[in-house]
Formats: sequence, C-alpha cells, structure tokens
Amino acid sequence: MSTFKDLVRVAFTGLLARKVRTLLLLLGPMIGVAAIIASVGLTDSAKGDLKQKVSKLGTNLIEAAASSSFGGQNPTLPTDAVERALTVTTVEKVSAVVELSNIVVTPYDEAREKFETVPIPVLGADDNLPNVLQVNLVSGRWINQFDEESDVRAAVIGVGLAREFDVLPGENRTIELNGIPYGVVGILNSVELEPGFDNAVFISFARAEIDFLSDDVEPNKMYVRCTEGTEAETSEALKTAVNLGGPQEITTDIKSEALELAAQSDRQLQMIVISMGLLAIIVGGLGIANVMSISVIQRSAEIGIRRALGHTRNIIAIQFLFEAIVVGVIGGILGVLLGMLAIFIGASIAGWVFVMASWLAPAGIILAITISILAGLYPARRAAALEPLETLRLG
Amino acid sequence: MNPLSTTQAVALPTLMELSHVSRVYGTGEAAVWALRDVSLVIRAGDFVSIVGPSGSGKSTMLGLLGCLDVPTEGTITVGDEEVTRLADAARTRVRGKSIGFVFQQFHLIPHLDALGNVETALLYRSLKPAERRERAMASLERVGLGRRADHRPVQLSGGEQQRVALARALVTEPKILLADEPTGALDTKNAANVMEILSGLQSTERAVVIVTHDTNIANSAARKVSMLDGGIVADEVLRR
Repeated sequence: MSTFKDLVRVAFTGLLARKVRTLLLLLGPMIGVAAIIASVGLTDSAKGDLKQKVSKLGTNLIEAAASSSFGGQNPTLPTDAVERALTVTTVEKVSAVVELSNIVVTPYDEAREKFETVPIPVLGADDNLPNVLQVNLVSGRWINQFDEESDVRAAVIGVGLAREFDVLPGENRTIELNGIPYGVVGILNSVELEPGFDNAVFISFARAEIDFLSDDVEPNKMYVRCTEGTEAETSEALKTAVNLGGPQEITTDIKSEALELAAQSDRQLQMIVISMGLLAIIVGGLGIANVMSISVIQRSAEIGIRRALGHTRNIIAIQFLFEAIVVGVIGGILGVLLGMLAIFIGASIAGWVFVMASWLAPAGIILAITISILAGLYPARRAAALEPLETLRLG
Repeated sequence: MNPLSTTQAVALPTLMELSHVSRVYGTGEAAVWALRDVSLVIRAGDFVSIVGPSGSGKSTMLGLLGCLDVPTEGTITVGDEEVTRLADAARTRVRGKSIGFVFQQFHLIPHLDALGNVETALLYRSLKPAERRERAMASLERVGLGRRADHRPVQLSGGEQQRVALARALVTEPKILLADEPTGALDTKNAANVMEILSGLQSTERAVVIVTHDTNIANSAARKVSMLDGGIVADEVLRR
C-alpha cells in the first residue's frame, strides 16, 4: 500500500515538474473523449424532447379497440371487458370508454348553428381514465362515482376545447350536448399519446346511457397499462382474454411505438462521429507513447540513479506506466467535462433538451485510461530495460 | 601481548568479497577482458581508493562493486549474500540495502529539491512519509545542508550538489559507500571539503571506497588499490 502511494506521489511530482509537456500529453485523451461524449450527447439531445416524452409517458400504454371481422357496424367490447382484461397478469390498470356519435356540442344554445358543423367527440368514460393515461387535470376534477350514481350531468372537457369555448380554469360553465346542458366540472390536460382527447367531451357511462343510448352501454375501446417491457405479449394476451367465449374481437395498438421510433437518434451519424473521436483518442495515445519514449531518453540519468538507489526494473516500469495512467485519468475527466460543456452549448443554441446517457462519463474515462496504459507500455518497458551503469557513466 | 594488539588481531568483518572475478565484454575473437582474475576483500573500517589510468578496468570494477553489473567469471559476496547468484531484482535490493553511491556528475534528479532527492533513496521501503522526511532531513543536516533542503539542484553550487548526493547515499545507512571520481567536477576548495566529509564517514561499521584516476585523491585514502590492464597491481596500506 505504501508502495502504491509512493508510486502515485512520484508520478504526480514527475508530471508537475514538466507542466507544458504534461499539458500536451493531456490533450490527446481529453480531445478524444470530449469528441465522443459530445457526438453521442448531441445526437441524443437532438431527439431529447421526444425521448423525455417517451420516458415520461411510459412505453407501456396499449389501446384495445373493438373490431369486427364480420364487417358489422359499431363493434363493441363485452360489458365486462375491463374485468376480462385484468385477468391478464401483466395488466396493471385498465380504463374503458365508449365513443358516442352524432352529438352536437355547443358552448351555449345561440352558437348551435356554428358548432353543428364542427364535430366534437363525446366519450363515455369510467373514473379510471386519467390514471391510466397518466394525465392530470388543468382544473376541477374528473368524473367520479357520484356522477355515475346520481342524476348529475357532469362533463370534463379537453384543454383544447376549453380554449375554443373560452372556458377559464375554475369558471362555472355549462355546455350543451344535443341541447342538454352539462356542467363543466374539470378540464383535462393534453394527452400526448391520444391527441384527439384535447378536443373531446367526457361524461359518465350512466349519463351516456340515459341521454344518448337506447341500449345498455357497451364500451368500444380500452386503455391498458401493462408491466413495462411486456407490451407485445400483453397485446396478444388481451385479444384472447377479451374475446374468450364471445363474438367480439379487438385490435391492439401500442401507443408509444410511433413516438419511440421518432425519438431514436440517428445511429449512423453517431457512429461516424464516434469513429472520429476514437481516431482522435488513438492519435492522442500515439502522442503519449511518443512523448514518453523521448522522455525516457531524456530521463535516462534519473532512471539510472533510481536503479542504483535500489529501485527495481519493475518499479521503474510501473513508475512510467503510472505517469501514463495519471495522464489518462485526468485527461479522461477533463474530456468528459469538455464534452458535457459542448453538449450543453450545442443544445442551448439549438434549443434542445440536454441529454447525456449515464454510461457515457464512465465509458469515456475508462477509454482514456485504457488508451494511456497501452501507450505507456512501450516507454515503460524501455525505461526498465535501461542499464544503470551505461546511463550513469554518460552523465 | 598487550591488549591493543589483541584488538588489532581481531579482524573487522568482511563487507564485500570479490573472488577470482573476470569480466569479459563481447565473445569469441572480439572478446575484451576488462577484468582478469581479480580478488579483493573490503572490510568494515576500510577507507580504500581504487586508482588507475583509463582503460585499467576501474570503471568495470565500480560496476561490479556497486552490484550494477555481474562478472563473467568468479563470485561476489556482499555481507552473507552471494550476489553473483541473484536475479536482477534481488541484486537491486541488495544494492539498495548495502551500497550508497556518489558520482562525479552528482546525478541529482533536477525537478526535485535537495530533500526530495535524498528522499528518493528511501522510496518503496514501506516508510511513512513523515519518517522518510525526517530521516532525509537528518541526512542533509549531517552534510551541513539543512538550510538548503528546499533548493533545487540548479540553485546549488557544485560542492553543495555533491553534498546532497552524499546525503542521499548515506540516508539508507549503507555498509559500503562507493564514490566514483567524487571530486572530479569540483574546484579544489569544494573537492577538499567533500574529501573531508568522506574520510569522516569511515567507521567500524562501514567502508568507504573511492574510484579515481587522481593519484592525490588516491593517496589521501588509508588503503590504495592500484589497477592496470584489468588487474590489481598493488594493494597497499598507507595509514592505520
């Protein structure tokens, strides 16, 4: 242990004694690591806002919609679709909706003519929907059990519709659905994975049944959150679970897939820039090998006297290797910092979100150390091979 | 017999022994015999000079005495270790433990101050930094350079540099102090000063060996070994 401390101390003293040379040695690994970090970081940051969105929304949202292979009109899911979906073990949360058709939505009666031509989707929804979609309300509350059980005509509207109808957050307003007034109890925030909801109206299943449907209400769509990573299996299992013993069929859609695809960085570009960074670091390594080899010749008298004082060949070799490693560690750390600065500046100028994968910093430092060890091997061996008698008589 | 002669009869311990040592450079017809069948015993208390013109083999002798080189034939024993049987690393350890070096060109490490240079001899010996520092400082004070501990070699005069080198050689408490032309690069005054320190180092525990071509220096030692053409031609005691 004390030998190790001695080695580190001597390496630092040796490097500090030749500051300019040490600085030049540092440049190689530093620029190489910085180039690699900046290239990966900047290509990631270019897609950073999308990546962030994906990680925030989660990749595990599945939409299961009713479909009919018989070409029937308005296919529906079984009434107990939610219970059926929950029998799939990887399913965590489920919410069902029913899309209602031919409902004219107007902010007030006088505007009916104008909004008749603008179709606004109206959905019957259960109280679990915001929870499954992981979306909050801008103001107010979501439809609850009370609305479901009593005769209250409560509606939640999307944030886009609220803007269109000039509904202020917290304001008491009514809207009319086919002339029937509903009280707006809440405004739903934007749903990234279901942009259509921004302009939709949500009412309880019970109300939908009473006011707009003649039959019993049957959902035609479900939103399912499954265990992260089981999207594909869950999609398949859902089809069986919902369909089992009945005529209804469903099609499933993993909502984040398109977004994920868009968020993928340009791998090809990244590889090109990483290759250039690697090249820079290899050239840097050659620089270390070169400068240190010269240094071995310049310091041959020092090596000779150290050998005479009882330092073994191994100690001399490790000593030179340690100088290279110290250069690698410091160069690597400086390179990571410089790379981060480059990402930060680049992302700020372009208006991107700063993204830096957590593996980048350790990988950069390890790469720099590896290169410097490889570069230090040759001069270290040369230093160890010097014959003390020859170098001492030269002086 | 009086008590004094009894003490004299008890020989001081042998520190180093060269037995029928030869050193040949090159092979076959181009072989050069730098040393031929040389035997030499160095005992504690010796203050020996090894003197001879260039080409006499004294540099080869220096390499062998310093365990920096191994002979082609013959054996060398340091203390109770036969160094001719040891591998490089083990021989290096014997060197670090038993031998202190002083060179004509001082060979101080330029980027270290005087204290750092002396401390270099104590590296990799499992010493605590504080203890190492203390011992190095004590050694510098012994050669009268305690106040110059933080000076770099370029800030020191030749004489001072050689005294730092002496402090470095002595800090490990070697049994044998080997000096190669220690005054060769110094003016008369500094040379005298260094010789004075060297002769003062003679003790019943230690031997001081000076390799030189300078007869005046050689004659100031207590014992003179004269070399010529790879052999010892005279081994005389000049003083008791």
